[in-house]
Amino acid sequence: MDDFYVPATATSPEIDFRFSSNTLGIRGESYPENATAFYGDALRQLRLYLALLDATHVEINVELKYFNSSSTKILYTLFGMLNDCISKGNDVTLNWFHDEEDETILEFGEELYEDFGQLNFRAIAVSAA
Amino acid sequence: MELKQFSAFQDDASREGVLFFYSGYFSQNIVSAMADAVRHRLKFQATQAITLRKVFSTFVEMSQNIVHYSADPLTDRTANDNELRSGAVSLGQQGDSYFVACGNPVLRDEVPALKEKIDRVLVMSADEIKQAYREKLRSESDPASKGAGLGLLTLARDAKRPIHYAFEKLPDDTRVFFYLKAVI
Repeated sequence: MDDFYVPATATSPEIDFRFSSNTLGIRGESYPENATAFYGDALRQLRLYLALLDATHVEINVELKYFNSSSTKILYTLFGMLNDCISKGNDVTLNWFHDEEDETILEFGEELYEDFGQLNFRAIAVSAA
Repeated sequence: MELKQFSAFQDDASREGVLFFYSGYFSQNIVSAMADAVRHRLKFQATQAITLRKVFSTFVEMSQNIVHYSADPLTDRTANDNELRSGAVSLGQQGDSYFVACGNPVLRDEVPALKEKIDRVLVMSADEIKQAYREKLRSESDPASKGAGLGLLTLARDAKRPIHYAFEKLPDDTRVFFYLKAVI
């Protein structure tokens, strides 16, 4: 399956889904005008990829500086999809990069951990630029 | 606007602690440019990272709300993308707090539902807001919402005090001016 790449803009993140090496990345800002439309293709590709996955280790790196409320909902859906694929013998590590001073982003990460306990969740604090 | 009025306008804004004010048409590009200006301004003032994120988030949520919901669209009312709608947003500092305020016309018919929605959040404690936020995150999306229905709870979560809202009459019969303010 082909890798999926969308470059970052001022208000939307870089999406770097390297399906060929089972490494996924989302980096940057996330407040597009319409989050559902922005993430639509990425979620569709991810769904196709996950459907084919068999006893594989997947690594996802999420490094978002800011995400708005509608992006939050999409991210939640995305992590739910990853969590669901684990019951089929795969394992997923989610590296959740957050500003060391930003408790809200860390809290959201912890929520994910509560709801999607199958994910190997790693919170990584980074110092503010 | 002559210099005298211009100066008076600036003095008034300065007395209110206004750091940024915009009134006009809102599009995603304008929101992006304003957000950039706001972030620089807050960084310049050496705002604490956590406060900066809260103020920035409030500013973006309110501005995008105008793009999506103001009842004064230049673009088709049913559009979901490339929208252009009118409103105003202001960011300022009073004492050791920041405020973000916004205003835009809404349809008179929409007022009761909007009031009810905000009033429900206003009576919540900080913990109840967090709880409601969690529930909303886990629920299916509201079909009437262009976002996730999380916007208002996001504002409430980041605000120090209950958010404040008011409506004001407009000359036309079908619309009223909706004002919303959050203190962070």
